[in-house]
Amino acid sequence: MISSPLSDWGIYIHIPFCRSRCTYCDFNTVTGMGEDDYARYVEALLLQWDRISKMPSGHVVSIFFGGGTPSLLEPEYFKQILGAVKDKLRISLEGVEVTMEANPGTIDEKRLREYRRAGVNRLSLGVQAWQDHHLRRINRTHTVLDARQGVEAARLAGFDNINLDLIYGLPQQTLAEWEESLTGVLGLEVDHLSLYQLQIEEGTPLAGQLQRGRLRVPEDDVSADMAELGRKRLIQAGFIPYEISNYCRPHKHSRHNRLYWTLNPYLALGAGAHGYWNARRWWSIRGVKQYVDNLQNGGDGIAGEERLDRLEEMREYIWLGLREEGGFSRRRFQDRFSVSPEGSFGVTLGKLGRQGLVERRSDYILLSRRGREMANYVFREFVTAS
Amino acid sequence: MNQAEIRNFSIIAHIDHGKSTLADRLIERTGTLSAREMAPQVLDSMELERERGITIKAQAVRLDYEHEGKVYELNLIDTPGHVDFTYEVSRALEACEGALLVVDAAQGVEAQTLANLYLALEHDLTVIPVINKIDLPNANPEKVQEELMDIGLDGTEAILVSAKLGIGIEETLAQVVSRIPPPKGQVEAVLRALIFDSRFDSYKGVLVYIRVVDGSLRVGDQILFMATGASFEVTEIGVFRPHPTAVSTLSTGEVGFFAASIKTVQDTHVGDTVTLASRPAQEPLPGYRPAQSMVFSGLYPVDSSDYGRLREALERLRLNDASLSFEPETSAALGFGFRAGFLGLLHLDVVQERLEREYNLSLITTAPNVVYQVRLVNGEEIRVDNPALMPPAGEIQEIQEPMVNASIITPSEYIGAVMELAQERRGIYKDLSYIDKQRALLNYLLPLGEIMFDFFDQLKSRTRGYASFDYQWSGNMPADLVRLDILINGEVVDAFSMIVHRDKAYHRGRSLVEKLRELIPRQLFEVPLQAAIGGRVIARETVKAMRKDVLAKCYGGDITRKRKLLEKQKEGKKRMKSVGSVEIPQEAFMAILRVSDK
Repeated sequence: MISSPLSDWGIYIHIPFCRSRCTYCDFNTVTGMGEDDYARYVEALLLQWDRISKMPSGHVVSIFFGGGTPSLLEPEYFKQILGAVKDKLRISLEGVEVTMEANPGTIDEKRLREYRRAGVNRLSLGVQAWQDHHLRRINRTHTVLDARQGVEAARLAGFDNINLDLIYGLPQQTLAEWEESLTGVLGLEVDHLSLYQLQIEEGTPLAGQLQRGRLRVPEDDVSADMAELGRKRLIQAGFIPYEISNYCRPHKHSRHNRLYWTLNPYLALGAGAHGYWNARRWWSIRGVKQYVDNLQNGGDGIAGEERLDRLEEMREYIWLGLREEGGFSRRRFQDRFSVSPEGSFGVTLGKLGRQGLVERRSDYILLSRRGREMANYVFREFVTAS
Repeated sequence: MNQAEIRNFSIIAHIDHGKSTLADRLIERTGTLSAREMAPQVLDSMELERERGITIKAQAVRLDYEHEGKVYELNLIDTPGHVDFTYEVSRALEACEGALLVVDAAQGVEAQTLANLYLALEHDLTVIPVINKIDLPNANPEKVQEELMDIGLDGTEAILVSAKLGIGIEETLAQVVSRIPPPKGQVEAVLRALIFDSRFDSYKGVLVYIRVVDGSLRVGDQILFMATGASFEVTEIGVFRPHPTAVSTLSTGEVGFFAASIKTVQDTHVGDTVTLASRPAQEPLPGYRPAQSMVFSGLYPVDSSDYGRLREALERLRLNDASLSFEPETSAALGFGFRAGFLGLLHLDVVQERLEREYNLSLITTAPNVVYQVRLVNGEEIRVDNPALMPPAGEIQEIQEPMVNASIITPSEYIGAVMELAQERRGIYKDLSYIDKQRALLNYLLPLGEIMFDFFDQLKSRTRGYASFDYQWSGNMPADLVRLDILINGEVVDAFSMIVHRDKAYHRGRSLVEKLRELIPRQLFEVPLQAAIGGRVIARETVKAMRKDVLAKCYGGDITRKRKLLEKQKEGKKRMKSVGSVEIPQEAFMAILRVSDK
């Protein structure tokens, strides 16, 4: 398994704007804003970047524009932001993974070319399903055709690293429809695929619809079948499963996500964005207006932070590391914490081993096949009850 | 006080017929409390008593009442009305010469009215019927008078009262004086006083409620409890008005309390006789018996670290409740807890609620069970108060279970429905009589164990809420009982074991494993659920293995949120009890109560 050096780090940049809100979404997003708001927001992002005084010492390997819908912002803004990053760090973006999330309904070849020129080299499209009635039901603003045309346009615009997101377990979704979605996205021959099970979050319109009995999500057994089918079909098509929900063509794994799983540092820009470095986690102010005001008034945009003690870091290292198909390296763990994983968690790891959930392969500790299905069960062993 | 000017009486009634309101009016009318000091249900000091409209502890309040130029001392002894406390009630009635029998003018005579009347007559009390709530639009005092005739009382002499509006209160007081006889008893004889209740006071120790039968009691007397042999020096004597008020002496016929630096109510048994240590009475007063637990249940803290707090809470409750018994118990499923004994279901309910409410404890209570008298093949006799401890069938010669005499009053059109219910519960028909044209009184001998779950609810629902129900203990009877065990993942879960009649075992076992299959979440492994009698499995269900448990995307690197979600899930798991490797939610332990035989 490829390991990123301990000193690699990344930057997460949150763009909270959306045209409309998907019914399942509970992320930090806002609708109904216009160009003026975008301009002020980018200004605030740049101020926040300016005011970061200390940087990790290693190499920036990834910059990730997440949302929201980053593709609502003009390419010019990306140029400004990436330019500011380059200037302050005195680096070129050569070899840096620069990802942008996009909604298939918001892009065309011309626009994509400009993003590419601004420095974006990886595109992540939220396709979600291959049936327009599903897309409508969850209030996505694009169609299946948009998704197909979006991928085509991205190729023409020069993107050679494209990810598509798909969701299974949608309300009223059948196994056959899921299979159709898989076939659909595989036909687009992209480089990376993420398969997520729909999470029902409290307070979302979808949670209300389910509660009132207007919609139903598939039974547990059906969504388990969907997960199995997804993995099988993607592997057959030549994708490498490298993380619990992520699949890639050779050498096309997402560097950014892997920083999270290996507890490497990442800085955070933008409303509600989360950063991590030196056992400290922090997050920016969630409200867009409050975030902008704070920075315009000389603030740093930070809303809160937590410090992880060594034990908590070790725990996170394990349960985040286990998300990777190959697991985590015992040697790396030992280098970082000066103790072996078994030295600290021997009893738990032993139990999980006996239950057939984790395995050891030379230097690596990883989830077994059953462990992957029951990943949450395994992870819970490494957190303390709240 | 001149003995001839003392009247000791109590008020007895079916629930909600207005006993407490009448007591409030008597207290008010005699000027014992000013209007400012009055509160509804003034004698029920516990929050629970007021909320549920029930009386749990007995009270004795002294009222001064002027009648035809003389001041009378009226002692009103307020008793708990529920069958669980029958013995306590009988001691309180023993301390009286008369009783006001309160009947609701709209509802008429109910099951508890009868039970209370019989109890009063057993104690040779003068019973004065009071028809209350005559102000209600649907009041029918004449019909109630007829019903009173039917149960052997002179209905025409009943006092018509509206305690709510204060009508008939003066007449009630006057009749207490004129119809209830003054106490008998020998002023010159050696002290004999009857204990009818006690309560713990954190400053004075135990306050012992007594009725002086012979002789008198003074501060400084060295007293002796005749049943326990314990001796104490009286530090304070008082009466309730209804606030405790010190007096120097209690003489023949009087009612009040004393304190003697007694540390726990366990030293003061209801029904015991108090005498002087220096000059003890020859004979104690008749009728004493130690409190006996009829219903048992396991009490376990949901969070095992609360065990110490649970013990403390139980000990504190026992300070004030001599009839609560408990001892440590260990369950393989539930960990460390207590097996507690109660006078009956209401008592259990009250204790449980107080533990949760006043002591903020979160409890798992196992299904209540009765005490079985078991004769073994080797001739030995044992008492079994925990189903899990019932010996194997091969060692048992005979099992006896406690029975009750149940009286059920129901509108005639529901007689069939009531009989059907009683039969389902293995009732033995005794007799049927008619109270009036519309209502019948049914008597059944029923196993106590069969009325513990939802008998009362069933009775109410099958008679549209019209039937009333009361019962008295009626000894033990042999029955064909078996122990039903539940096995989860091949292991017997002791907290689920129960004793059932052989004929019902199959249905009970089947419905219980079905219920458990719904309640036990899918786990890492497939979990078989079995119901078994002895070694024989009679029903089986399976909780399928969980196929998938995966968290989705980490949006924007928000690991904190993901971790919190895992922590929350883990907290949820912590509230479950682990049996072997199976996690069982608390509700499953209560499910056993909701499973019917049908």
